[in-house]
Amino acid sequence: MAVRIRLKRMGAHKAPFYRVVVSDSRSPRDGRFIEEIGTYNPVAQPAQVSINEEKALKWLQTGAQASDTVRDLLSKAGVMKKFHELKQQK
Amino acid sequence: MDRMEPDALTKTTRINMLLDFYEELLTEKQRTILTFYYRDDFSLGEIASEFGISRQAVYDNIKRAQQALEMYEAKLELLARHEQTLALTEQLEASLNTLKLETNQRQELQEIVEKLRSIDIMAGMEAIKDGSI
Repeated sequence: MAVRIRLKRMGAHKAPFYRVVVSDSRSPRDGRFIEEIGTYNPVAQPAQVSINEEKALKWLQTGAQASDTVRDLLSKAGVMKKFHELKQQK
Repeated sequence: MDRMEPDALTKTTRINMLLDFYEELLTEKQRTILTFYYRDDFSLGEIASEFGISRQAVYDNIKRAQQALEMYEAKLELLARHEQTLALTEQLEASLNTLKLETNQRQELQEIVEKLRSIDIMAGMEAIKDGSI
């Protein structure tokens, strides 16, 4: 079954804050997730992105599917580039 | 894949803000589907199987709900005003910091700045703290 990396909205009304989480695509609504691998705060100027690169790479390499938004974030943080480089080395 | 827009992140951030302002004006179904798609970041396929409808139907629903949000914003401009208020508050604080002031004067003005800022985002900041970030 697919493991997905998504952006989970936290924070409160009018002040969004996101966590980048790894979750099973079968358990969408119960809010459980396997692991948190980063955060994203769009309210801060400029927006703050923090990604645990080691964990992110580990999940990507084991085939976890990142959502479009997470892929954007990972690209910004330079993780996607590293992932592709690692892939080509194989 | 699922999203046509060049920058999914910017789009998601904007729609989530619009949702915060206008969700009560949407139909129950629009609200639910937008919540799945933008707050929980599920794919069209996942939402489709959750509701037992086609991906195309989910996509059409999202499109229409988004248009509704943008229409409300075009008419009411609540998000634009909110952003403007925050930006001006930042500016105010920045110029305040360049002034020579007595300590108590500075404190007083700084408190007003904080109040301005907290009008809208206090609850949000609390939540962020609660999440131990």
